[in-house]
Amino acid sequence: MLRAQLRRQAQVGTKGTAEARMQGLVVFSVAGQRLAARTDEIGGVMPWPGATAVPSDTPFVAALVRQEKRCLPVFDLAAKFNRTMHENELLCLIVKHIDGPLAICIDSQVPSLHMVARSSMHYRVGSDPDIAGTCVADEEELPIINLTTLGVSSIRPAR
Amino acid sequence: MSLRGHKTAAATSGQTVRFLVALVGPIHVAFPAHWVRGIITLAEAGREGLVTWANSSYERTDLAGRLTIGAQMTTAETRIILYGNDQRSRSFMVDGVLGLVDVDRSQVQPLPPQFRGGERDRLLGLFSGTAYVALIANPFWVLELPPRKNALDAFVFQASERRAGEFDSRLRLSSATHEDAVPTPAGHKT
Repeated sequence: MLRAQLRRQAQVGTKGTAEARMQGLVVFSVAGQRLAARTDEIGGVMPWPGATAVPSDTPFVAALVRQEKRCLPVFDLAAKFNRTMHENELLCLIVKHIDGPLAICIDSQVPSLHMVARSSMHYRVGSDPDIAGTCVADEEELPIINLTTLGVSSIRPAR
Repeated sequence: MSLRGHKTAAATSGQTVRFLVALVGPIHVAFPAHWVRGIITLAEAGREGLVTWANSSYERTDLAGRLTIGAQMTTAETRIILYGNDQRSRSFMVDGVLGLVDVDRSQVQPLPPQFRGGERDRLLGLFSGTAYVALIANPFWVLELPPRKNALDAFVFQASERRAGEFDSRLRLSSATHEDAVPTPAGHKT
């Protein structure tokens, strides 16, 4: 009985260690630009509901979308990358931003979930604080975007 | 044609704020209504920089420009809103007037903190209508008065504590439902 318990615990421990070496990433695209983000930074995906413009001085934040009974601010990620959204059927990515939920308009291609070895993720501090580094998912090197601090002009330490 | 668009939203808290909803460019802007003194046509306003109406003068201000919405084209729906309190008055052009709407305080959402620029001075928050989202103009900013801390709370609660009959706007408009609110082609005056 005790031996069986110990064996089970050892198996769980091995699994836990393996999970600790992996990082869940969501890969999505914005006007053709493919990006990766940590799964725990994403609150959900829904059809793009259409936005209400807000006369704003804040860079890339100039619209609202309705989600249930509330309105969420929209971060224009396409504009940040100097791109233009062309598709008609777009999706809305809900981000768990440090200042509250935030919406991003993304391409209609449904975001995909990837478990990536942490060793394949390369964090680096660059000129853009919204980009944490790069990772390799399905043999494709992608920029990792910091969704929780998007638009906040502070550099978050690499995790 | 009368101004339609006076709705009492599904009130739950008993604290209701009355707004005049207007179009400024493509954007629905809500003005706390108890400082609305009148709505007139361009012809009634005249071409001068100062609008005189009911023995009061209202300096013209380019609200669309100040909101950074851009140039406005005048149409049959264009109106001049006369806005003021005891200290100051202003008049400004809007691209259409949807009507009055009573909004429960709990339905007023502050501007999300991700908006970090000058819009925080200009806008107090927002609320969702059936077919639109209205941005609440800061009435102190509209009148170019000194900014107030927590302007939204101070202003909204002060307004919502008024009882029926204590509403201090000189604006008198016929009532209709919010869902029916449409831009009015006719001028309204106090």
